[in-house]
Amino acid sequence: MAVLSQPQVHLHELSPRVGRRAGVWVASREAFWIALETLRTHKLRSFLTLLGVVIATTTLIVVMSVINGMNLYIADHFANLGTNVFILFQFNWTTSWEAYLKALRRNKAIRIEDFEFLHDNLKGYKNIGASAGLGGEAEVKYKGHLMPEVNLAAETPNMIDIGQAKVESGRYINDTDYRHESMVCFIGHDLADEFFPSLDPIDKEINVSGIPFRVIGVAARIGTTFGESQDKFVQIPLTTFQKVFMARPNLAVSVQAWDAQQMMLLEDAVRAMMRARRHIPYQEDDNFGINASDTIMAMWHQLTASIFAVTVGIVAVFMVVGGIVIMNIMLASVTERTHEIGIRKSLGARRRDILMQFIIEASLIALAGGAIGVLLSLVISKGVNVFFTSSVPLSAVLVGLFLSTAVGLFFGIYPASKAANLEPIEALRTEA
Amino acid sequence: MAMGTQVAPSSTQESMTPPVGVMIRTEDLWKTYDMGEAIAVHALSGVTFELERGEYVAIMGPSGSGKSTLMNLIGCLDTPTSGKYWLNGRLVSELSDDELAYIRNKDIGFVFQTFNLLSRASALHNVELPLVYSGVPAKERLEKAQEALRKVDLIERMYHKPNELSGGQRQRVAIARALVNSPSIILADEPTGNLDSATGEEIMSLFERLYEGGNTIVLVTHEHDIAAHAHRIIHVRDGKIERDETVK
Repeated sequence: MAVLSQPQVHLHELSPRVGRRAGVWVASREAFWIALETLRTHKLRSFLTLLGVVIATTTLIVVMSVINGMNLYIADHFANLGTNVFILFQFNWTTSWEAYLKALRRNKAIRIEDFEFLHDNLKGYKNIGASAGLGGEAEVKYKGHLMPEVNLAAETPNMIDIGQAKVESGRYINDTDYRHESMVCFIGHDLADEFFPSLDPIDKEINVSGIPFRVIGVAARIGTTFGESQDKFVQIPLTTFQKVFMARPNLAVSVQAWDAQQMMLLEDAVRAMMRARRHIPYQEDDNFGINASDTIMAMWHQLTASIFAVTVGIVAVFMVVGGIVIMNIMLASVTERTHEIGIRKSLGARRRDILMQFIIEASLIALAGGAIGVLLSLVISKGVNVFFTSSVPLSAVLVGLFLSTAVGLFFGIYPASKAANLEPIEALRTEA
Repeated sequence: MAMGTQVAPSSTQESMTPPVGVMIRTEDLWKTYDMGEAIAVHALSGVTFELERGEYVAIMGPSGSGKSTLMNLIGCLDTPTSGKYWLNGRLVSELSDDELAYIRNKDIGFVFQTFNLLSRASALHNVELPLVYSGVPAKERLEKAQEALRKVDLIERMYHKPNELSGGQRQRVAIARALVNSPSIILADEPTGNLDSATGEEIMSLFERLYEGGNTIVLVTHEHDIAAHAHRIIHVRDGKIERDETVK
């Protein structure tokens, strides 16, 4: 047979470089398929093996998601004062309960004169606005429809540039409304839905706590927080509010800076001006509060950092346990497959080929555990989001997958090196 | 032939380097197993022989004679306790593990008594394995493996797993695997030991064809009938070469 003739002359050098490097790639792919095959044939065993890693990854991602969800929540609903905005108010929002009680006794309200003083004397700001709210919640009526518990807020016209609300239709309160103390209002989306499901709300007259106001605009939907709608509000000019509801409201003055650095300078300037205006001796604390997004966020992060630290500890324990289980099963697997290793070695598998095969297998088991953990945590996170808040950050998923793979890699090294160091002839003699 | 370019591995061995055309040369090979407490078992005690390219040799001997140990040494599965072994002019008795793996991969094709196929892999994948470890890309690997399976007439059963094949077919898969990397020698250790005599004859005629195709074959057996297929028989007894006869 002609096909059988092969002049077998091998004058190759040992380890030609390029061929060997390609060989590592080819052998790794082989190892990858072997690993998948092993996972497939030993489904239950693999699953039990990776339970520890699954739990660790799930815990990590769920906690990170809940913290992330709360971060987003805080950022959205408490700390979103707009970019580079800080608020001068009677109190600091971030102080403890005791500090709040103390402040309640000595802090003085911010009045319209304070706002006007800052408006005229503070230099370099981008915007300065003021708002006030009615202590209780207002009742709004339109042609027999009643909507209770509506948040009534009084605003200066430029608050549209500073705060959260965006105009969807109509317009916001303007300077003319403000100067003339017009009886106009800018309403939240819920009110538009409730009173004007099929009508254009603009220029309709609604009744706010018994007083008629003309609707001039509707805000874009903001959404809900902790299940509570943020779109149930009526905003009226601050001057109108003073005329109709409260002559001397307690204001929140919003100062918007051009950038973050200038914001710090402006905060210092406002503090100095307010202290001078109120004649506060230098050794005494402020009797007003300056609140900015970052101070709220800083305090929040301090809190979450400690929650996170505990989680890291727990996850580390799970991961180590998971890793040891993987190591155990890999050791068993090496013993079980000694004969196979012998065959592979007799066919020319080098140490590193066998090493690679088992390390890839261990990593893949752990990665599969990580992936199951990710899926599980996505489901849990979805569930948590129904009654609380949770949002899975991409970084948590990546960290979870990376960590689990790293654990598999680390705990796979010992069994793999045991396999790689088997003597070919000894391994081959072992009965399959 | 192009063998003239071959150079000895180290200068001190230069005088002993076997001449061109000699594929295997061993010089005073010893393999000793320490059984503890100063008891040493000599599996091989000073084996010296030469083997030329294209020979068909049988190593014969009763069990415990050291013939399998000798085959393991020739096949670079094991290393001698002392002595020298040249394969294709290279002193392989002093190579590292990875270099030996490389030689097993490129120069040696094993055929075992118990076939030693991977039970979970198809015939095709079993044949591909040596190519995997020499880093041959997938497409080329498939072609070569199919070609090798065609040579042993198993191309139509290439997707079957070993447990779906008969003993003779399994051994043919093993032979295809031994051939696939075009090795210098095919080493067969009792290749018919687990087969009935009819299938054994089939396998032996396949070896005959391989020999005629220019392959160098070393057969280890304790059966005279099987050894009779070879053209030279080396009789081993008690770790020594007893007789070296040329048959045909």
